[in-house]
Amino acid sequence: MRSLNFGYAISHPRAIDMDNNDLRKSRAIIEEMPELQACISCGSCTASCTAGNITNFNFRKLHTSVRRGEYKGAYEELNKCMLCGKCRLVCPRGINTRGLIMLIKRKLGDF
Amino acid sequence: MTFFAPFTIPFIVGSIVMFAIIATKWITWIIQLPKVDRRLMRHNLLTRKTLYAIWEVIRESLLHVRIFRVNPLLGFMHMSLAFGWFLLIVVGWIETTVYLGWQMIPLQGHVFFKYFAPLNGIDTHIHLFDHLMDALLLFVLIGVALAWFKRFRARAMGMRRTTRHRLLDRVALTALWFIFPARLIAESITSAIYGNGGFLTGGIGGWLNNIIHHDILVALYEPSWWIYSSLLGAFFIALPFSRYMHIFTEIPLIFLRQWQLRPTSERKSYDNFEIAACSRCGICIDPCQLQSDLGINDTQSVYYLRDRRYNMLTLKVANNCLMCGRCEAVCPVGINLSTLRLNSRAKRRNIPHEGRYKYFAGIDRSNGSGKIGYFAGCMTTLTPSVQRSMEKIFEAVGDEVWYADKDGGVCCGRPLMLSGETDAARKMVVYNTDLFRRYEITTLITSCPICLRVFKESYRLDGIEVLHHSQYIDRLIADGRLMLDASSEVFTYHDPCELGRGLGIYDEPRNILTTLGSLREPWHNRDNALCCGSSLANTIIDDQQQRRIAERMTTELDATKCHTIVTACPLCNKAISRTAHHPTQDIAEVVARNIHQNC
Repeated sequence: MRSLNFGYAISHPRAIDMDNNDLRKSRAIIEEMPELQACISCGSCTASCTAGNITNFNFRKLHTSVRRGEYKGAYEELNKCMLCGKCRLVCPRGINTRGLIMLIKRKLGDF
Repeated sequence: MTFFAPFTIPFIVGSIVMFAIIATKWITWIIQLPKVDRRLMRHNLLTRKTLYAIWEVIRESLLHVRIFRVNPLLGFMHMSLAFGWFLLIVVGWIETTVYLGWQMIPLQGHVFFKYFAPLNGIDTHIHLFDHLMDALLLFVLIGVALAWFKRFRARAMGMRRTTRHRLLDRVALTALWFIFPARLIAESITSAIYGNGGFLTGGIGGWLNNIIHHDILVALYEPSWWIYSSLLGAFFIALPFSRYMHIFTEIPLIFLRQWQLRPTSERKSYDNFEIAACSRCGICIDPCQLQSDLGINDTQSVYYLRDRRYNMLTLKVANNCLMCGRCEAVCPVGINLSTLRLNSRAKRRNIPHEGRYKYFAGIDRSNGSGKIGYFAGCMTTLTPSVQRSMEKIFEAVGDEVWYADKDGGVCCGRPLMLSGETDAARKMVVYNTDLFRRYEITTLITSCPICLRVFKESYRLDGIEVLHHSQYIDRLIADGRLMLDASSEVFTYHDPCELGRGLGIYDEPRNILTTLGSLREPWHNRDNALCCGSSLANTIIDDQQQRRIAERMTTELDATKCHTIVTACPLCNKAISRTAHHPTQDIAEVVARNIHQNC
């Protein structure tokens, strides 16, 4: 039975478990860049993104996950960013997104 | 002949320590130079470049011509201290040689000649030397007085702010300030006792004789020389560790620079010369907009170089810079401040990652055909009207154009480089170069000065002429291919940092604007132009701070009472239009709406 594939799949349950997520890094990021809390998740950063235009890189999704403490794969994903800085120019909340990208990478992987 | 007295010990020890440390430092730095640099040194040693270097040493290390350009009084202060002291040494040496003939005289014999002359039985004096040495001492003392004056009224010498110094610098500074007054006192007391001396020391000596008893003068004689020698010794020992290291380091720096050595995006030993050659004069502080508009006081080039020299550079200081190049434009030592800061960032952030940007493979967003390539750049795709204007211009002149990234392509790599990730940026360089080569373009036009700079500086595009769109349009007008309608419109032009100070393109946009109407310059223009504050080089300041810098800058643009503010960089355009009260347009947009229509 198991080998039969009817073309359907069950999405794995995805719960955001804030109790078990390690929020230390996320808090450290917000502490260094408190303006991130002003984000309204409008998605302008993703819409204007040079890397997002040619890949599925999605900065809004990424920094939202990181804030929730879901760091898995975030560093590798951020390596797609070319740091061109358009997201910073379009951000209606004036968040220093380029600085944020470097900050997240620093907290999650670099040195 | 005796040339030794106990009071000379601090001086002798000080000078031995100083020369030993300086020699060690220089030799280590030279040995550590990469092979390419050493080859350049060997290659250029016996050429005319060495003569130029000697001339530059005289102009800059002694006369300080570049500081005169900042402010004449400030220039005079530096010149009187450097050139005056140099002449005191040279003329002092000639004096001893004239008196004693060619013979080996130890260093202290020259420096304290006034003390040793009577000991060695010289009692007939050549008045010319007495007066000349006094005149030179007076010259240096004027410089010292100006330095004191500068502490209280820096503004009178053209500096709104001066450097905050470290403790060791203050010790060295204090020693330096009192060396020459101490010398004056010591020589005056000597003159008072022996009844000789020139117009200055002799004059003061005579006056001292009248008011102070001879026995007291004799008692003060030795201590006064002790003080002078101790101050010299203290200064010499502090020198290699303090900002005064620049006195000697600027000389090899000038030679190395004339021999075509340059700092690169990778750190190398040559950087040590540039870093140690900084005198921390603080001339770079006033032009810094982070200082004047935001009151940030710890990141200016002088502090950055200081922190880097003493290994206490923080990521924040390295990153908190607009790299507008305003400090570099005024630096009297000509230090490559932006390149040094970039390679500091590279040291901290350049993390190699093999899998990075693999997604570039197979991507080709270009369209069109033609030998002329147009690279809009990320920022231009964010200001589509610039790209549309360029298309209109291409159409008007009938040039066939290949668009490299009409629907958004790969970044040029400069933003990553500015953040220190030089190796990752290399992948973009390779990708874009491949793309340009594949379509065999012969001209590459870009609307973004950031891209333009990286194309010119970091890409190898031999056989492809790289142009900014303002250069291309200017050429079209000059060749008579593009006819424009002139009007009475008044423009004001903002020089983008990367285009102006970065690449020296000042005239082409101005030519275009004067063809179209009249041009009014803002107060700061050309190589003194202000930065818009949105520079990609700075990842520290926040949106409000960027806005404040832009506001200050656009106030000047608005003050010209023009009709249209024009710039040639999409990033500046965004920053200006946010705060300006006049309509802001890219030069391409202005040209596109003034193309002459044939019927």
